[in-house]
Amino acid sequence: MAIVVRLDERLHERRMTLTELSARIGITVANLSILKTGKAKAMRFSTLESICAVLECQPGDLLVFDPSLPPEE
Amino acid sequence: MNAPSDAVTLSRPLLHGLIVLNLLYALGLLVLFVAGLLAEDWVFNALGVRSGEHRPRLVLGMRAMVIVGLVAAGVVDRVLRQLAAIVDTVRAGDPFVASNARRLQLIAWWVFAGEILRLVIGAIAWAATTKAQALDVHVGFSFAPWLAVLLLFVLARVFAEGARMRADLEGTV
Repeated sequence: MAIVVRLDERLHERRMTLTELSARIGITVANLSILKTGKAKAMRFSTLESICAVLECQPGDLLVFDPSLPPEE
Repeated sequence: MNAPSDAVTLSRPLLHGLIVLNLLYALGLLVLFVAGLLAEDWVFNALGVRSGEHRPRLVLGMRAMVIVGLVAAGVVDRVLRQLAAIVDTVRAGDPFVASNARRLQLIAWWVFAGEILRLVIGAIAWAATTKAQALDVHVGFSFAPWLAVLLLFVLARVFAEGARMRADLEGTV
């Protein structure tokens, strides 16, 4: 997957844990872990909106396109 | 407990009961077939076959029907077992899987085969009937089973699409 999720970096900047983020946006830690580790196949706009609101960032700060990575099958 | 989950809970023992009944039916047919070979006169007299020139033809027709009946029992067994497997996935809470779409398609083909066998039984009865004595089985034509076959094929496609959507949704956060 050539789309990279930079959730870890944003959390680190905000000194926030995944558990805290989970509690604030109402998405399970398990699901956020899937997102963080790049295993998610898709992301809802509502999820993106919640994360951006809590982490005070733009979608482009969270999602990056890396052409050097192999595309999804 | 609501009505649909009641129906799912009930359908499992019901289907397993039907599987056993169908096996008993097949066993009964097998016993009848073997008994007809070992004690032909006794069995076919008891079944009401009268003496005369027509008798061998009627006996042959009845034997052929028993064999077709055994094949039909096998078909019914396949349908019931596939249905039981689908019910199990519903109980497990995940019916929209590719294997269920495959199962529904198989059921559609088996029901189709069952209807063909019904027509074969009708043809046997017609061929074995003589002026002296008729092989009297009522195999009327009905649109309902053919409509069921069509619906099952459509449902199999719906399930395949549902399974695909479900797989898509699984990785969505």
